[in-house]
Amino acid sequence: MAMKVDNDNKIDLKPRIVTHNLTKNYGKLCAVNQINLTVGNEIFGLVGPNGSGKTTTVKMLTTLLDPSSGTAEICGFDIKKNSRKVRESISYVPQDLAVDVRLTGRENVMMFAELYGVSTPAEKTDEALKVLDLFDRADEFTKVYSGGMRRRLELAQALVHNPDVLFLDEPTVGLDVAARKKIWEHIKVLRKKGMAVFVTTHYMDEADRYCDRVAIIDRGVIKAIDTPDNLKSAISQDIISVSITGLFNGIDVPGVRFAFHEDDDLIFYAEHGDSALPLVKDALTDAGIHVDAMSVRKPSLDDVFLHLVGNVEDSSPFNLSTFRNVTGRRG
Amino acid sequence: MNPILVYCRRDLIRWFRGKWGFLSSMVMPAAWLVFVGLALPIRFTDDYIDFVTPGILAMTTLSASLAGGGLLIMDRMLGFFNKFLALPPPRESILFGKILVITIRGIIQSTVILIFAFLLGARLYSPTQLLGTYFILFVFGALLSAAATTVAIYLDDHDQYAAVNAMISMPLFFTSSAMMPYDQMPDWLSPIAHLNPLSYAIDGIRILQTGVFPLTQIALLSVLCVAVNGLAVYAFRKVKI
Repeated sequence: MAMKVDNDNKIDLKPRIVTHNLTKNYGKLCAVNQINLTVGNEIFGLVGPNGSGKTTTVKMLTTLLDPSSGTAEICGFDIKKNSRKVRESISYVPQDLAVDVRLTGRENVMMFAELYGVSTPAEKTDEALKVLDLFDRADEFTKVYSGGMRRRLELAQALVHNPDVLFLDEPTVGLDVAARKKIWEHIKVLRKKGMAVFVTTHYMDEADRYCDRVAIIDRGVIKAIDTPDNLKSAISQDIISVSITGLFNGIDVPGVRFAFHEDDDLIFYAEHGDSALPLVKDALTDAGIHVDAMSVRKPSLDDVFLHLVGNVEDSSPFNLSTFRNVTGRRG
Repeated sequence: MNPILVYCRRDLIRWFRGKWGFLSSMVMPAAWLVFVGLALPIRFTDDYIDFVTPGILAMTTLSASLAGGGLLIMDRMLGFFNKFLALPPPRESILFGKILVITIRGIIQSTVILIFAFLLGARLYSPTQLLGTYFILFVFGALLSAAATTVAIYLDDHDQYAAVNAMISMPLFFTSSAMMPYDQMPDWLSPIAHLNPLSYAIDGIRILQTGVFPLTQIALLSVLCVAVNGLAVYAFRKVKI
């Protein structure tokens, strides 16, 4: 298992989350299909499009849903047999922003401290509010909080009992760029403090930048698990995209593989993009194809995703709850 | 602190700070006290306000319970429910927190109505009568809150619940013994009124004022209360995530 290990924050390899063929069926639909994961003390990203089974997976791991078959252990506790112990070890921040607008920030966090049964709720509440930079505004009603502040308040609620594992479902959905960056920076701090963070997102760029390892999930199946860098270098060193006029029938250039059509563009994987560029141009010209534009770039997780699942449109039924945050509609 | 009380306190604070929710459930019973209790030309008694006050108390509790039934559904719609489910306390404490807070809301509103009735000239209750009245209102409130919550869970939709709410509250009130004694009722109404749980609470409070302990009424209410709370737990365990 390849992991990023820095000198100042070693990743603890003792597994916090282990799943064994975790499966959830809704009637004939298999939402999550035999997932096997091992997550240590790291930021682990479960990435995939809407409706790919991310939230269902998280709901099973947080004991909200019973798996149809298979099981999982959180900190050594089985999610089916020992669900209360699991809930004592974790915190879960769902996708919907749900803070009580008629309570102050402090009251919101305090309530969770009491529900978690921490011994000194008032002190732990202050601590959590300070960690999330909300202490100065703790006594204001959360009605006046921005979206980013509300999300941070939810993180404070989750941190108040010092969980071993933190589950975040789409933590940055609906937030502006600055707020998203701030949320991720907080998540990184938590990891450094020794918390395992299991986060789902459909923003590939965020997973790439902030996750230690990512699992790519599509239609309930895990397609790949590795560090973002390994995933990207596994497809190729460079990506060449060419926009052409004419009919493409394949070219033969050493070190270059044709990947797929993206609209009117051709996508190639190349070992050495810069030096391959003129060779690709010549080969295309020889084949009677006019090249309009070319570019070389490093692969992103988007490319990895497209490589793994193909360029398919999301055809799953529209799920209103997935879009609640986006549209601001409730129910 | 017990998680049931934590959940209960959260809803109580939200209710107080909401102001309108606090007021709205009381306007109708207060209007009834004035316009029916004082203004209706009644022949069977000279102190109709004394007679009708227990009925209005039951109406207040009914109105408070129906208003509170949707609380759990709102929590589910707004995403609070999933957060609470992932917490360590037993999950039923979410449900019992709701039933408790709705009952307390009913008791607080009934207190305001009772004081209002005394100000309007109803005969004051002795401490024993007060104690008995509150006990009945508590059991009755717990029964109605559990029933309202169960209905809301089954309907699983706030609009639907509001519609059912509006549909059942008036008939339930008028088919009870709130407005008139059984011997003054038309023949067809009397058997229905005898079956209506509202009547048990109303009769119980009236019997208290004659100096008798209303054992039958309290026993009936208690049995119903336990049964409906059991039903609420059953419905609650099947709430979709």
